[in-house]
Amino acid sequence: MNILRILILLVLGNASILLAADGHEAVVPLEAAKEQGRAKSRFLKETQEAAKAADAIPKANLAVFQELVEPILTKSCLACHGPERTEGRLRIDRLNPDLLTGPDVDRWREVYSALSKSEMPPEDEPDNALAEGDRGRIVDWLSGELNTASLIRRNSKEHTSFRRLTNYEYNYALQDLLGLPYPLANKLPPETASEDGFKNSSELLQMSVMHFETYREIALKALNRATVSGERPRPVTYFVSMQEEMDRARASGKETKVFHKGEESYGQIKNQQHLLNRESGTGIPFAIGKSLPRPDVVFGETPPVSPVVLVLPESHELKLDLDRFLPDEGIMRVRIRAARSTMKPDEYASLRLIFSAHTSNDANFSEVISARDIPVTASVDDPQFIHFDIPLGDIQRNPFRHLATTFPRRDEFLHIRNVSNANRGDDRLQVLIDTIEITAPFYEQWPPKSHSNIFFESAQRSDEQLYGREVLNRFLKRVWRRPVSSQEVDQFLALFAKYRPEFATFEEAMVEVLATALSTPEFLYLTQRGSTDEAHSPTQISELELASRLSVFLWSSIPDDELLELAERGRLREPEVLAGQVKRLLADPRSRRFSQHFVEQWLGLERITSVTHVAADDPLRGAMLEEPVAYFEEVLKHNDSVMDFLHSDYALVNERLATHYRIPAVYGPHFRRVPITAQTHRGGLLTSAAIMTMNSDGTDSHPLKRGVWMLKRILDDPPPPPPPNVPEVDLTDPEILKMSLKERIINHRNKPACYSCHSRIDPWGIAFENYDALGAFRTHVKDQPVDATSELFNRQTLAGIDGLKVYLLTDRQDQFSRAMVHKLTAYALGRPLSFGDSADIDNLTAQFRRRDDGLSDLITLIINSDLFNSK
Amino acid sequence: MYDKSLLLSRRTFLRGTGIALALPWFESFAVGGPTQEETPKRFVSVYHPDGVGLPLKSDPAWNDWCWFPRGGETDFELTKVLDVLEPLRSDITIYSGLSHPHARNVHGHSNADQYLTGAPIGGSGPYRNTISLDQRYAEHAGDFTRHSSLVMSTNGGVGGPRGAQTQSFNREGRPIPAMNKPKEIFDLLFVTSGKDAATRLARSKSALDLLIDNTRSLGRQLSRRDQETLTQYLDAVRDTELKLSKAQRWIDTPIPQVDTRNLHLDAEPKEARLYFQTMYELIYLAFLSDSTRVATFQLGRENGEGPHDLLSQAVGLGAAHGLTHEVKKPGGWQNLGTYNRYQAEEFGRFAQRLKETPEPTGHGNMLDNTLAMHGSASSSFHLSRNYPILSAGGKKLGFTNGRYLKFGKGNEDNQAGAGIDTDAGWQSKQEVEELPLAKLFVTILQRLGVETDSFGGFTGSLSRV
Repeated sequence: MNILRILILLVLGNASILLAADGHEAVVPLEAAKEQGRAKSRFLKETQEAAKAADAIPKANLAVFQELVEPILTKSCLACHGPERTEGRLRIDRLNPDLLTGPDVDRWREVYSALSKSEMPPEDEPDNALAEGDRGRIVDWLSGELNTASLIRRNSKEHTSFRRLTNYEYNYALQDLLGLPYPLANKLPPETASEDGFKNSSELLQMSVMHFETYREIALKALNRATVSGERPRPVTYFVSMQEEMDRARASGKETKVFHKGEESYGQIKNQQHLLNRESGTGIPFAIGKSLPRPDVVFGETPPVSPVVLVLPESHELKLDLDRFLPDEGIMRVRIRAARSTMKPDEYASLRLIFSAHTSNDANFSEVISARDIPVTASVDDPQFIHFDIPLGDIQRNPFRHLATTFPRRDEFLHIRNVSNANRGDDRLQVLIDTIEITAPFYEQWPPKSHSNIFFESAQRSDEQLYGREVLNRFLKRVWRRPVSSQEVDQFLALFAKYRPEFATFEEAMVEVLATALSTPEFLYLTQRGSTDEAHSPTQISELELASRLSVFLWSSIPDDELLELAERGRLREPEVLAGQVKRLLADPRSRRFSQHFVEQWLGLERITSVTHVAADDPLRGAMLEEPVAYFEEVLKHNDSVMDFLHSDYALVNERLATHYRIPAVYGPHFRRVPITAQTHRGGLLTSAAIMTMNSDGTDSHPLKRGVWMLKRILDDPPPPPPPNVPEVDLTDPEILKMSLKERIINHRNKPACYSCHSRIDPWGIAFENYDALGAFRTHVKDQPVDATSELFNRQTLAGIDGLKVYLLTDRQDQFSRAMVHKLTAYALGRPLSFGDSADIDNLTAQFRRRDDGLSDLITLIINSDLFNSK
Repeated sequence: MYDKSLLLSRRTFLRGTGIALALPWFESFAVGGPTQEETPKRFVSVYHPDGVGLPLKSDPAWNDWCWFPRGGETDFELTKVLDVLEPLRSDITIYSGLSHPHARNVHGHSNADQYLTGAPIGGSGPYRNTISLDQRYAEHAGDFTRHSSLVMSTNGGVGGPRGAQTQSFNREGRPIPAMNKPKEIFDLLFVTSGKDAATRLARSKSALDLLIDNTRSLGRQLSRRDQETLTQYLDAVRDTELKLSKAQRWIDTPIPQVDTRNLHLDAEPKEARLYFQTMYELIYLAFLSDSTRVATFQLGRENGEGPHDLLSQAVGLGAAHGLTHEVKKPGGWQNLGTYNRYQAEEFGRFAQRLKETPEPTGHGNMLDNTLAMHGSASSSFHLSRNYPILSAGGKKLGFTNGRYLKFGKGNEDNQAGAGIDTDAGWQSKQEVEELPLAKLFVTILQRLGVETDSFGGFTGSLSRV
């Protein structure tokens, strides 16, 4: 079946090559290139041999080396890598051909890499050229030997997956454990990324006094927020009714300009904030004074819909002066009843909250406090409530609010902003608001769920010893992701007994003890214990550990009860159960964390924070950063081929990004899949604006950065770091100043100290020259046509981005899919991969390729792999 | 319900007071570092808002009432603003041409916030600050004393964003509340019993014991390699334990007895001279008893109001902030100069007192081991450039005094932005070259024994200092 398929593809592939040879403007269509490249896959050809190798007793295949390989090496390599000349400090005649026990495996891996990518021998040395068959013979022998050597080293792993949680994992774990939806761990010191770009890499996750103390502090603070004591506090509630505002303004007797919707002069007013009675059509300009708490209002009771609304046009803000009465802590719920003035599909509107104070002349601040904009979707006939929950203790407050005197000013302001694209045309979409309620502290219920999760109802509640044991038992089990013994609980009960006299209530003392539990290594670390009763495989992790590994992989957090229970009952490794759980985890909204963190780290998106030509609060930057994640989610959801990351005939965009990409008719801030044509010059991740932007120098493209990025992130073939004392490009030299960027690069590259590395890097980057510093497509730079054609080290010509994509898709599919497997596996394991893992990675890659490179399949393959199930 | 302050961790507790218990944030104490017996290295920063008088040379007031001296590095002549420091001439250094690059186009009213941080806080929008110079040093030295630092100001508290009433910001960029009542400061330094702190420490101690036990039993089930990783955790717990026992030592150590004759603990800002003298005396006593080695004291707040405007009553003048607005009125430069002169005079009195006190370790006098910095983040009217800064002391730390050091280029006579009394100044383009003040901070940190070559994102020190 497979062979048949390959044959067919081979024929198809040849057909397109023939077309090219025919003298057409020889560009292989990108989709065809995918098929053609697949047919070239070594992984798809090698399956049977790989299976054989696994059974054989490992022994170096020296016979083949002497008979076939050595003569070729002597003929084609020795001239430059021998006693006469020793390029790259490599003496091919001195390498020990026994890869299994010999010391030269790393050098052989370099040889393998250079040969398999046709980087060696250099094309301009015809005397040393390799016949294609000869190249294949060396590569075949080397790949087999390397594979066996890797298998042998498998059990002497250099790295372990035992590690502490990353800052973001710790944060999610706390959130999920306590049921608190807002960020809790911002105070932890920042983390660095590994060579591979991953932050969850075990060797980097250090623990210091500062970490430890911060963990303790965060834990106590989080628990204090999750739990409550005493009576339900009386909330402070504000209530703004537009009906009341209208009545008040008109009853005040003051000269209020009343207008009517039908009048011509309404044209000047309608795009300003105003109050409007939708039934009568009369309106007044909107002005609102200080709002004071309304003890008479019960929050959450739905008042009847009023015909009087505040008309809030695009980018306008309703600014409420809340004086100084909001409490210091607790959730502030803001509830706004809103509707759209029109339902035109090409317009959207959403609401955003901003908080500010202006304490004296220039002493002021204002910041966005809503985590995300919430779209207004209801029609005027059926206005709906939108709500925001804001943790008051976490936002910047007016420090003078408790002052007894009136200056510096004590007021705090809440702004409700209409974020919308409706800034054109006659009948623009506006947000119509009739009621606003603000209350704090807000509780859905009393005691809140986060409290009763810890201090649940129990028949033993009156007995502090018994109830304490119950509470601890349940809490520790979730914290440690495993059943706990009664001796373990005893330890914590003893601590509780010590603390109890110092506190007024059971809960207060217990919270201190629980905070200590949250500082234990078994919460902070991902453990893998020595084998207990699983005698059959001492290297296999337990099912409970598997549950944690799964949830940390796909949720960046601790397992939930269902996962834990299956593991506890020993059922998690049952194939259907495991498959079902993977499916469930991926379908859960928490899996968004996986997409976000994996993609950010894989592609190194954090780098965008170090460029300044797109500001941090620019909606374009937000859209840029979201695109690759949305794209990944799309491919994941449909189990599409990862080759789509290299090229696809669709794009994932929102309105802002579509404008940037000149894709028409995309409205609104949400990301969606849209078909594109070749003229859009998009498709895949390579040309996404974030990647082009972060790999630029702030004013123009930066081919070197783009080239290095391609090699590191996409091809998993990182170039060596630059040597010390590299000569700078001399910009004071008038000759150099005259050159185009590409010419400058070539000039620099031709210096001997630079050539060997730059010739491997620059061509990849030059192929992106049609994308400017913000990733917009261009055909001209400074009135000169863009020259995006480059030649790779192996003499392969890359004609701009399409040429690059065709080349990747026809000749580098194996390399890219293996890179994908490598990156995703390293992330899943939370440790760097070493040579001892490479046979497993090859094996996974072969299986992955056989399943048509489906992204979701890859996750399943990894989860079922020995690697994922081993310590 | 949320007020569980007794339960709050040590650090939250520390943040709530102007004085921090001597529990270091970093593990710097673990190895090396100075010992108790070594002579303390101290740092104090005094900040005065509103800047100084900077008339044009053509103005008759220039000769007497320009804050900056006339003349060169060693032959400088102090004007009437600073002539009160003439007796300390060989112990002071005056600086010009320094400012924070991020502040140069921010209105002077917002400047106290970044005087010791250099952070790009901007003039509006979201507010983020970074660690201040004093706290950076307190991370290093705070460990050797009962209190890691002493944070004071006339107005007290933290003020508002872009209207700070404290110079001190912690590592997260959060303001550390300043204390402004002499009695409270005295009680914290020399009276507090530490009973609450002792209970808290005992509680932490039990928790750490449990964690160590728990970690050991986990360790037994791990591979040798993973045990090594876990050692890091265990070390962190043990180091925390060490810190606790140090804190315990402070609690057990009797509070130093000090001479209270010069203290007027009921003094209020409206009795400005007495108030200043008492606040300086408290710093002096805190240093003398080695209760802390780091102090900040802010004289008022930018933009006036509150206690600040009472300070100028010490020299019989009206609202302090108003003086900067009235420089063009008859006697205006003289009035502002007179107010600045009074600030210098009290600073000089403090420096003199340190100078006259032999170091308790016998190593020179206290001023020689103290770097006392006095300055503002605006020179001319609300103009955040060419900060008027002087320092006293530090001879044994490596400072060579008796000099007027001009940095930058093109403004050797301090005329850029001189003579203005409108807001046009701070928005104007900068025509002269100034050096980042952070470079002076790097020099200070290095001389205080902190190994660093950058501060607030700026690398390098000032070689001539």
